[in-house]
Amino acid sequence: MSRFLNFDTLSLHAGQTVDAEHGARATPIYQTTSYVFPDTDTASSIFNLERGGHAYSRITNPTVGVLEQRIAALEDGSAAVCTSSGMAATFCAITAILGQGDHIVASTQMYGGNISLMKNTLPRFGITTTFVDPTDIDGFRTAIQANTKLIYGELIGNPGLDILDLEAIAKIGADHHVPFMVDATFNTPYLCRCFDYGANMTIHSVTKWMGGHGAAIGGVVVDGGNFDWGATDKYPTITEPYAPFSGINLWEEFGPSAFATRIRAEAMRDIGPSMSPMNAFLLLQGIETLSLRMDRHLSNTMALLDYLSNHKQVSWVNHPSLPSHSSHDLARKYLPKGAGSIISFGVEGGREAGKAFIENVELASHLANVGDAKTLIIHPATTTHSRIDAAALSAAGITEDMVRLSVGLEDVADITADFDNGFRAARQLAKQ
Amino acid sequence: MYFDVNGKQVFATTGGKPFDNGKPAVIFLHGSGLDHTFWGLHSRFFAFRNYAVLVPDLPGHTHSDGPALTSIEAMADWLDDIVVALDARNVSLVAHSQGCLTALEFASRYPERVRTVSFVASGLATPVNKVLLDAAENDPEAAVAMMLGWGFGSAGQLHQGPIPGNSMVAGGRTVMRGNTPTALVTDLKACNAYGNGRQAAAKITCPVQVIVAGKDRMAPAKATAELIEHLNNPVVAVIAQSGHMLPQEAPDQCRSLLKTFIFSNNPAT
Repeated sequence: MSRFLNFDTLSLHAGQTVDAEHGARATPIYQTTSYVFPDTDTASSIFNLERGGHAYSRITNPTVGVLEQRIAALEDGSAAVCTSSGMAATFCAITAILGQGDHIVASTQMYGGNISLMKNTLPRFGITTTFVDPTDIDGFRTAIQANTKLIYGELIGNPGLDILDLEAIAKIGADHHVPFMVDATFNTPYLCRCFDYGANMTIHSVTKWMGGHGAAIGGVVVDGGNFDWGATDKYPTITEPYAPFSGINLWEEFGPSAFATRIRAEAMRDIGPSMSPMNAFLLLQGIETLSLRMDRHLSNTMALLDYLSNHKQVSWVNHPSLPSHSSHDLARKYLPKGAGSIISFGVEGGREAGKAFIENVELASHLANVGDAKTLIIHPATTTHSRIDAAALSAAGITEDMVRLSVGLEDVADITADFDNGFRAARQLAKQ
Repeated sequence: MYFDVNGKQVFATTGGKPFDNGKPAVIFLHGSGLDHTFWGLHSRFFAFRNYAVLVPDLPGHTHSDGPALTSIEAMADWLDDIVVALDARNVSLVAHSQGCLTALEFASRYPERVRTVSFVASGLATPVNKVLLDAAENDPEAAVAMMLGWGFGSAGQLHQGPIPGNSMVAGGRTVMRGNTPTALVTDLKACNAYGNGRQAAAKITCPVQVIVAGKDRMAPAKATAELIEHLNNPVVAVIAQSGHMLPQEAPDQCRSLLKTFIFSNNPAT
């Protein structure tokens, strides 16, 4: 091999060294808490970050390591750290560089868990957030304060589906020496590599499209390696000596992977939201077919957009692929293969009609997840975003009649037939 | 740490311990377009075993002031300026690729400073492919891709690596991108122009070690054989499965070989 491997090849092979003892082709599940050291010198070297290696599975594990290296490869990031969930990844990433008195500028259009974390939980640790409409670029610039240490957003906003202008936001971050972290769950690296457009770190709930099967919860933080931590004194957790490891200076020693190393050395060690080897194995099986699945997600999405846009009982349809969407041009720029497989739409008749629709489809599953191989639907206002107030709901673009659809991989004719049943029930409700 | 050499700021990592010139020094030299992070899986090990470790960024690379130096001879003189500035004693040089050419020049010109030299993945000379030189001048991104494509063996291309979660190739690309457009092309031209390897090798009298990468496409076996032939009684080891970026691709084997050689020939108390 003498050149960079392409995406589909990396999806199958990156990070894995074929098991030397038995020749196992699949990545083995190293279901172990700990690892036997060959000698005391090796043990102390691993503990002192002098060499790679495994000591305890809360911090690193060989199966999880393959997943981390595979995702780093797919994202073109310098390093990745897997966590027990996407929310754990977000929390670990933020707290690796922010603390008491620090500030975040974040998009209003995000997963409700992200909003709740920044609005309710992080303030208890002295970290505050200013939320900005993702389409308001000047708003991001003016929201920057002297204590701002992070800009955060989702490329494809949830559930309003506005597209974040990555290059514009990244420039604001660069102008102020503030890193730009993107929750890339909805796009996956197959649809967009955010580092190519100036993002500095990405977060994924790998539970979603990356895994694709809905069988394992997991998260990952990917370090783009492209933020100059040393250009400012705002990030002492990266650039100042870290006492637990003999005063190591992560920026000096690890350079492009300093941020990921901080998460590994601190969050995984002191907090411990580690991914299980079994989940890593399951998620690896999903990633092997990421591009194939995404292509099918996208083709089914386009077919359903056509179906919904022409349905008399649909009051509105929202997806960045539609020319009417306010982010259509940004979607074409950043997501040329397709703008993801989430569609939101309104059912004529409002909240009760929407409820009737959801309760009368059978193939589509009514549950709180996205990115499964199976088609999923939910009513965000009463579920995923129910813990945020009315103003935040409005800012996130959520209406009472909104149904969020995560398009699956089924035969699209079967999905539309299922939806026909849902619409029939909604129509009958209206007649009563 | 940062220190001043000839009115310019030089950055060097010291492996996590303050540089103490009362201890024998191990100075690591990186290759074309790279920086101190290349030696991260070796420097800290020696620093915590009672050596004064120094891994400088060449001028114009990552954290050191520019401009990049235009000849191997100038790099050797700059290295001597560092050794003098820090009063580093009993120096073990550990060099990779282009760094090996600098080590050849330095050890032959300033033999009194050097206790050992370890050459990793190098020949006596480093003639640079014209396509690569042109790319470095006109299309740095393509040049970086070529160097990392040829430089890393299959383990690198598959994003395997000794540090869980880290991609050697992506990390290297980030460093090299940061050192374009000027540093990389200047380095490559300096390598291409260097022709004093044979004479320099013959003058080196201290213990020397050559660590060969069995799948090296940038310093192939013939070039390495020439180096071995012209050095005085080198200790030679081959890491069969590694590509040119051996210190990153096979760090445990490389570190073990360096440890055995340096501990015995330049012991720390």
